[in-house]
Amino acid sequence: MFELSLFIFIPSIAAVLFLLIRNIKVQYSLSLIIAAIHLTFSFLIFINILQPKLPWFFAIDPLSKFFIMILSNVYFWVALTSYSFLKRPASQRAEEAKKYYFSLLNLYLAFNSAAMLSNHFGMYWVTVEATTLSVAPLIYYYRNEESLEAMWKYIFIVSIGIAFAFIGILFLTLSAKGTVLEGQQLFFGEYVKHAYKLNPTWLKASFIFIFVGLSTKIGIAPMHSADVDATSNAPSPIAALMSGSLRLTAFIGVLRILQITSHTSVNEFAKMLLIIGGTLSLFVTFISMFKVTNYKRMLSYSSVEHLGIISLGIGIGGIAFIGAMYHAIYNSIVKIVLFLSAGNIHNKYKTREVSGVHEVLNKLPKSGWIYLFALFAISGIPPFGIFFSEIKIFEGLLFSPQAVLLALIIFMLLFIFINMSKITFAMLYTKCPNDDIQIESEKLEISHVVSIILLLVVSLIAIANPEIVYQNILNVAKEFNINL
Amino acid sequence: MKNFSLANLFLPITIFLVKVILIPIYINRIIIDLDIKRRIEPTIQQMSFLVIAIFTMIVIFMFTNILSNSTDLEVIPFASGFSAIMIGIYIIMFRKKLIVHVSGFLILENGIFLIGTSIASELPILIELGILLDVFVVVFLMGIALNKISSTFKGFEVSDLRRLKD
Repeated sequence: MFELSLFIFIPSIAAVLFLLIRNIKVQYSLSLIIAAIHLTFSFLIFINILQPKLPWFFAIDPLSKFFIMILSNVYFWVALTSYSFLKRPASQRAEEAKKYYFSLLNLYLAFNSAAMLSNHFGMYWVTVEATTLSVAPLIYYYRNEESLEAMWKYIFIVSIGIAFAFIGILFLTLSAKGTVLEGQQLFFGEYVKHAYKLNPTWLKASFIFIFVGLSTKIGIAPMHSADVDATSNAPSPIAALMSGSLRLTAFIGVLRILQITSHTSVNEFAKMLLIIGGTLSLFVTFISMFKVTNYKRMLSYSSVEHLGIISLGIGIGGIAFIGAMYHAIYNSIVKIVLFLSAGNIHNKYKTREVSGVHEVLNKLPKSGWIYLFALFAISGIPPFGIFFSEIKIFEGLLFSPQAVLLALIIFMLLFIFINMSKITFAMLYTKCPNDDIQIESEKLEISHVVSIILLLVVSLIAIANPEIVYQNILNVAKEFNINL
Repeated sequence: MKNFSLANLFLPITIFLVKVILIPIYINRIIIDLDIKRRIEPTIQQMSFLVIAIFTMIVIFMFTNILSNSTDLEVIPFASGFSAIMIGIYIIMFRKKLIVHVSGFLILENGIFLIGTSIASELPILIELGILLDVFVVVFLMGIALNKISSTFKGFEVSDLRRLKD
């Protein structure tokens, strides 16, 4: 109960409280304390010092333990850099949005924690829908036409997607007709235990609906459009949150239903769908990278790509599953760095179009170099973590029946890398035609420090490979019947 | 009426309040505030829309009937729920006005509730209330967004939303 209140109630109370306390500085310090407590406790749970029992519809199992750690980590760094983001001068109408920023951020934390910790499908559904609602006003932060359209599309399409996921949950109930589970509550654990008794046809239908519905929120092609629009138009800390943790909150629902199928004959079918979804996401990114002219949009497509790789790895199973879990950690961390530097660039040039950005390395040296290294990190260049996780996924793919796919995927990844680098180098090096070269110095901001720490963390986790991370991932894999 | 208690009435009354009274009043107020004309602007012929809707319903009812042989489900609520979901989607696809999209979404949502009753899955009251609250807040946020859209874009049709593309 104590842990539950830390994870869920305190952020919600803070969110309400912030409507009364209007001072941004106070809000920031309180939010930071909450984030730090959240991070500490998820870390303690992650390294097995705490093993709490949660009441009602919540529980801690290997899956939620792993993902709440990622959420806490992403949230803490985003909260830390939020104040320097809010201090930046904004348009008259965006000033209005600052009042609600921390309030909504805390709601976001509460709902995401609740979704990750829930062990009941109904609770999961309610909280996932609530995360959409808490993030939508944050997308509308800049109060301009683009962000308004992005918010409308995000609310509308994701709500319909989640409604479809609810149909999937109802089908899951149907699949339990005539078994011990009939008339019982929709607890994950019970369903996994009795999974072999479920009716395979309805289970299949349930997986399709939940996967397709939630992929509007995960951003898996072909349902990715609203997600890309929203991520590219949200302010940079929110975009980092969405890429790093919100997509995983939705992914955990797919993993839950996959976990149920992993004890049945439907498993092969479900994995097939994940592989198709993953490959399709890569393909969509491959096509879009040729024509994208907006650097934040490029980063959003990169999120589609990496969630695609994760779902591909999970679909293949075996060692690729382990790789996919590592990939989830690394992707979430590198995305914070990328979006924060993109936010710094946006703040200086006031445009998201690549054509309007020149000589970042001279004008914003710190953000520019960090952006360059983050690009290397996200493209899978050693010593950054994504290289190692992708190698694991490819190894699993090579020894699986779908080995032919590997050639196609590496081909697409190569072109995604080339196009992303082309866009980035154009931003970093192109000289402005009617401007002399002038080297300016950039003030050290908190986002630079955070970025450097996070880039170090990504490579350190990969190189040192802490036993505890591997152990936790193995525990998750065991839930899916994967033995190495 | 052995297990009857007043507490059992709580959920139905709340659902009635939210779905039948609060949401319609709210949508009505938006229509009056924004001065939206009560004219349907479909992207396809009204006649063909009807034909498509009827055809879909026939297919769904037949399909459900076949399904009910192997699984224990009630045909009428299940099939009407599913038809409502499909028609909600058609309305979102084939109509231009954004406020009509909101009602399409509500039709879809109601269809899901109907399927829920046909499966007789009972969720705990806390979660039922959570679902209801979510639906209400979604409609509420959509209403606010619609207000902003009509003041920023000087219109409330899908065709006004075409800034974001690759």
